[in-house]
Amino acid sequence: MKTQTIKKITLLFGLIMCTALFSNKMHAQSKIATTTAVADQELTVKGKVTDENGPLLGVNVVLKNSKIGVITDENGEFTFPQSLSSGDILVFSYLGYEKQDIKIDAKSTYINLLMSSDLVEIMGAPNSNTPFKSKRSK
Amino acid sequence: MRYLLLFIVAFQSHAQISDFDHINFSKADLNASICKNEGLDNMPNLVYNLTSNLDTDVERFRAIYMWVCHNIANDYTLYLKNKRKRSKYQNDSVKLKSWNNRFKKDVFRKLLKQNKTICTGYAYIVKELAKLANLECEIVHGYGRTSMTNIDELDPPNHSWNAIKLNEKWYLCDPTWASGIPDPETKIFKFDYNNGYFLSNPQLFIINHFPQEEHWTLMPNESHTFDEFLAAPILYGQAYTYLSTHDYPKLMHQSLHKNEMVQFQYKLQNDIDVESVRFLIDNGYTNKKTTPNSVNIENKSLIIEHQFESNGFYDVHLYIGNDLISTYTFKVKG
Repeated sequence: MKTQTIKKITLLFGLIMCTALFSNKMHAQSKIATTTAVADQELTVKGKVTDENGPLLGVNVVLKNSKIGVITDENGEFTFPQSLSSGDILVFSYLGYEKQDIKIDAKSTYINLLMSSDLVEIMGAPNSNTPFKSKRSK
Repeated sequence: MRYLLLFIVAFQSHAQISDFDHINFSKADLNASICKNEGLDNMPNLVYNLTSNLDTDVERFRAIYMWVCHNIANDYTLYLKNKRKRSKYQNDSVKLKSWNNRFKKDVFRKLLKQNKTICTGYAYIVKELAKLANLECEIVHGYGRTSMTNIDELDPPNHSWNAIKLNEKWYLCDPTWASGIPDPETKIFKFDYNNGYFLSNPQLFIINHFPQEEHWTLMPNESHTFDEFLAAPILYGQAYTYLSTHDYPKLMHQSLHKNEMVQFQYKLQNDIDVESVRFLIDNGYTNKKTTPNSVNIENKSLIIEHQFESNGFYDVHLYIGNDLISTYTFKVKG
């Protein structure tokens, strides 16, 4: 049963590749066919998040536009709590680092992500309600 | 056609809060207060709670902005430390960069653990949270001018605020100044939310916010120079709650003759009582609250006229009720 499905998918892929070679219009259509073919799969997504110094603890990994998510552990690793479908987007965010959106596809269910720290210049002038006073010569 | 275009340009109002008069922000504000005890350790969750039940981008942004203004405290000691180092390394870009990298870590640690920051922190958090809500938001770096800034020689860029794109138009806001004011004596930050810095009128904003990149004035058809900014009158927080524009005088320091009439001109957001308009005049020895020679309000246009009867050098503070609006100086000669 399983080998048959795999065979079918391989056949479908082969067909898509051929049509893609010959027609641009067909390419657009076949792309939709691939996503539907794999969208039914339930994917368990795992991964590891690091920065230039090593694993990052406490990175938020969230399914876009939802509350479903997980936080990376001390090894920077996570297992997403819910199975995902191809095309879903995971949002990786951590204070001081650039936010990244990662699109899930069936081929890569283990995500190795390097996050880079945000380039922020730190400046700050608080406002003041103290009335201005001119400097006067005595 | 050309005249029609000119007409359109001349009467085009700048992007500001009045574009959203039809929107009631109470639901967004309520979301911000419900999330009061949440921290920044789970930003996606915070953004979800702040925005998921709101219908428009402006409401979603409002909830985020209100949360930041009411939950992030301005750390005055952190500000002073950074100011000292930045001036010290002003001409040494390598040292400045390395200081900035060290300091940045300190700032983010404080933000995560204590919800405390200085203004780039505010602008940064607003931007990050807005991005998580799929809103286009930027940090604008530049110069902020207050009564305490050394206005004769403004140091390197000292302030940051935000620009937010709503319905294909950019708007300005300043979450740092909106959140409150630290007491320079006790260094204790006091939350005192000022709604005037939310989607402010760019014409008022430019008087004490000069962006490093010119396009962030949001007034592409007008030229505004740094020298004009340095020479402008001082505006206080309450100016943003009463005024829509500050038209005249354009200069902080004025010279005039005894009994010469000087005119002040403003556009008000809402009508006010003529009697509430007062000057506090300081001649270096005494302070005196006085009623200007004439105060006129018509179609939300406030026009004040005043004459000085004796020679001297005066600091003139405009008050509406008990609220300090702006400061000018006058050198009066015979």
